[in-house]
Amino acid sequence: MNLPWNKAESQLNREIAYHLQQLTDEYLRQGYSPEEAARQARKEFGGAEQFKEQCRDERRFAWLTGLRQDIVFGLRMMRRTPVVTAAAVLSLALGIGANTAIISLMDVVMWRPLPVDHPAQLAFIDWQGQGFPHGLADSASGSSWADGGMKIANFFSYPAWESLRRNAADRAQIAAYEDSKQVSISFAGRPTVGEERGVTGNFLALLRVRPFEGRLLSDADNTPAAPPAVVLSHRFWANTLGSPGNAIGHTITINNRLLTIAGILPKEFYGLYPGDKTDLYTPLRHAAGTAMNTDQPDDFSNNRYWGVQMIARRAPGVTDAQLQAVLDAIFPSTWSRPAQDAKLAPHIHVQDGASGDGALRREFRSPLLVLGALVALLLTIACTNIANLLLARAAARRSEVAARISLGCSQRRLMRQFLTESALLALLGGLASVAIAYVGANVPGQFLTFRDSEPIMVALDGRIFAIVGICTAAALLVFGVFPAWHSSRLPSGLAAREGTGVLGYSGRSRWTGGRLLVLVQIAMSVILVMTAVMFTRNLQAIEHSNPGFDRRNIVMFGLRPGTSGYGKSQLAGFYFNIEKRLAATPGVEVAGLASMRPMNIGGWWEDIRLTGGTPSFSVNVNGISASYLSLYTRGLVAGRNFTQADINSESKVAILSEDLARKLGGNSVVGRNVEFTDGPPGAKPSVFQVIGIAPVIVATSMKDHPYVLWLPHDREARGTTVVIRTGPPPQAMLPSIRKAVADIDPNIPLVEVTTMEEQISKGLQRERMFATLCGGFGALALLLSVVGLYGVMSYSISRRRSEIGVRLALGARPRDVMAMVLREGLVLAGAGILIGVPVIFLGAKYVAKELYQMKPIEPLTVSLTLGILLLSAIVAISIPALRASSLEPSETLRQE
Amino acid sequence: MPPKPAELVQGTLDLLILKTVAQGPIHGYGIAQKILVLSKEILQVQQGSLYPALHRLERKGFVRSEWKPSGNGPMAKLYSLTPEGWKQLQEEKRQWRRYTGAIAMILGED
Repeated sequence: MNLPWNKAESQLNREIAYHLQQLTDEYLRQGYSPEEAARQARKEFGGAEQFKEQCRDERRFAWLTGLRQDIVFGLRMMRRTPVVTAAAVLSLALGIGANTAIISLMDVVMWRPLPVDHPAQLAFIDWQGQGFPHGLADSASGSSWADGGMKIANFFSYPAWESLRRNAADRAQIAAYEDSKQVSISFAGRPTVGEERGVTGNFLALLRVRPFEGRLLSDADNTPAAPPAVVLSHRFWANTLGSPGNAIGHTITINNRLLTIAGILPKEFYGLYPGDKTDLYTPLRHAAGTAMNTDQPDDFSNNRYWGVQMIARRAPGVTDAQLQAVLDAIFPSTWSRPAQDAKLAPHIHVQDGASGDGALRREFRSPLLVLGALVALLLTIACTNIANLLLARAAARRSEVAARISLGCSQRRLMRQFLTESALLALLGGLASVAIAYVGANVPGQFLTFRDSEPIMVALDGRIFAIVGICTAAALLVFGVFPAWHSSRLPSGLAAREGTGVLGYSGRSRWTGGRLLVLVQIAMSVILVMTAVMFTRNLQAIEHSNPGFDRRNIVMFGLRPGTSGYGKSQLAGFYFNIEKRLAATPGVEVAGLASMRPMNIGGWWEDIRLTGGTPSFSVNVNGISASYLSLYTRGLVAGRNFTQADINSESKVAILSEDLARKLGGNSVVGRNVEFTDGPPGAKPSVFQVIGIAPVIVATSMKDHPYVLWLPHDREARGTTVVIRTGPPPQAMLPSIRKAVADIDPNIPLVEVTTMEEQISKGLQRERMFATLCGGFGALALLLSVVGLYGVMSYSISRRRSEIGVRLALGARPRDVMAMVLREGLVLAGAGILIGVPVIFLGAKYVAKELYQMKPIEPLTVSLTLGILLLSAIVAISIPALRASSLEPSETLRQE
Repeated sequence: MPPKPAELVQGTLDLLILKTVAQGPIHGYGIAQKILVLSKEILQVQQGSLYPALHRLERKGFVRSEWKPSGNGPMAKLYSLTPEGWKQLQEEKRQWRRYTGAIAMILGED
């Protein structure tokens, strides 16, 4: 091979051979015998190999050549121990892959800007105040959340949007929109469902998305007289409609209204936040699913209905603070009347909008941080394992290292060799982790559903690979340097003398570095295993807690007759007929109606008190039909149930949950009046007479158990949730249920059909995410530390074969040897666990708020964790212990 | 019994090699012999240690080498001085004289 390093090597050999030949010839001339001449020549020349090594170091391409040698040598070492190498690469890949997945998800949820032009200019307009703006608004639609001591809310009246937009036009463009709503759709004769968001005409133009096809909406579209137009998301056009080529200009039916498709949005635009599942953007004036009354344009001029949210694009040079000041000065002029108490009046609060709507971030920020910390720990454990592996390998190569040092290899050179080997491992691990990240990146995203959002898609892109690269480099640094330094530091004289198993050498073979690493590893896995046990128990406790009713064989779905052409006068009849028709369907045991879907996040909340009484209580309210409660319970605790007459006459009666009744004075509360305390000041509060007390059932979620107030179902509601208890399994009943609804009106779609069990588990996504991911991480951590412990113990045994052989030869029983090894390993594991436990207590407060029904530290949780760890440790130790006890003394001694 | 050959003072090997190579293309064995002869066998150089030094000087660009048939035998690697090497030789000579001058002055006062 005519490669430069080979050529240089052969020239070096020739050069030195020439010199030795000349010297030998000289001695021959002086009369020495050939053997003696050669010997004298070698003596005079000195250690040829040592000088050659120095020459190689001096070579022009010394660095590169050395690197190639290092790599070739490193690969050869790996090939020699394929299982160990594969285990190392795999554990590293899992560690990096898990980190990549979580970091990618954090990126998508918390940092990635919206895929629109100049996202940094975007801002969300909210207001902060004391809570619902009583006196200024009668009703509202939107969300509010606590921020420090204040409440922040995102809903405004439509006239407020018009005024703010007009008066702050020089500072920012402002658009308004509603939360998306599910609607029934028919396109080219095919019915389907979709998610519609009502928006103002300038909404899409403000975001500066470029239409994939057709056009965006304009202000002209958002007038009552304009022909109704709709813009589709790319996902809806492609996945639901099947990419029809003639979509633009085609009509589409949304809740029985005819609209024309004006445009299709670009593929990369996912909406206002990752997982936003909006399929259709419709002008608010024509939106079918809007909460506003599009038939009677009252809501658009009514500044006491606060039902739209706002997004702004700041003009260049305008800051959030400046915009906030300008808008806050205009805000009071949009109210129906001045605030009664200036101190309690709401104030505009502008939030940065570059990364989209903050609700997702608020919801998942702290869970993601907890998960991020856990995977970082996992990666550390994986790295520790690699460090341990390299240490063990280096220790097994002591004689090789010693030989190289005595042949003149510099310590720097040796250290580089070891670092190259760990870099190779890191590189392989990094490559494998790309595959794992690719598969795994979307796993945690599946759990992050929010407001029934789409699962968050984590698309792998260059930045993620950059993150993998950084992880790999960091890992290399962590696990490569210590073993490299440790091994190359070996004093040459000592190393050369040390054989493989000299008696009495066993003291040094206890290998403190490796033990230290295993100790740290076990301590860290205590944390991960404990977290896994904690969240798994939490989920199980919630899932198995008693909701107060049999959750099997219940199915529910929404009906929205009010958005499908039913007028107010027709609705009562429709509801009556539906309930009657369903109850008569064979297999249906009970059918009831509720204005709020049970076991759903959000809902209807009020503060109530006994009329004349002082303490008020926060209650969850639901409007229900007469048969609804019999879905859950056999009878009432006291008083009577609603009747159809109560519903027909819209009578002001109420049923309380038993726990609330107890707070208000027990069964004697029947017959007394309760009132909403939150009415507008001065206005007459809504008063209801208590007619019954119902047993406690879980109404909103398995996680919290609020007091419940039941009211008669609103006979003119625009939509309702039908809940049915079936005899046979609900899936088998669905066709006849669909047919029963179609018998009443074939044009009314069933929306969001779920069983009660599905509905309950939907509310536990976050708990399930924690339990599943932490369970996975915990198992991985356990596996890695068990491998680490096993490695250290087997290494220790292999170094002490002769010692054990002597013990056995001198009469120790195999059982004694086994006990000795077990004791040694358990002391190591026990010490690690002892170090880990206090950390648990310190970290408990960070996870406490993710738990619902239990405290982070519970005796059962702790003992389960310790049990799992100890058991795994025993398994890991017993393999080398068994091997040690079955050693043949004669054999081990002969090997010396 | 002849006096024991002197060990080389640290750092002087490069100077000796540069000086020897300055007189024409010469192989490693020749350099070793020449140093021995010129110093009247006082300076003892471990001959192998010439090579790392030669390779280092070559890497720094002070000497260059080529393979040529030596007088009678096989091909030999012959070293010669480069212009940079000549400048380096002058510099090292100057430093050596300052160094030995200083030592001599101190010893002279004794």
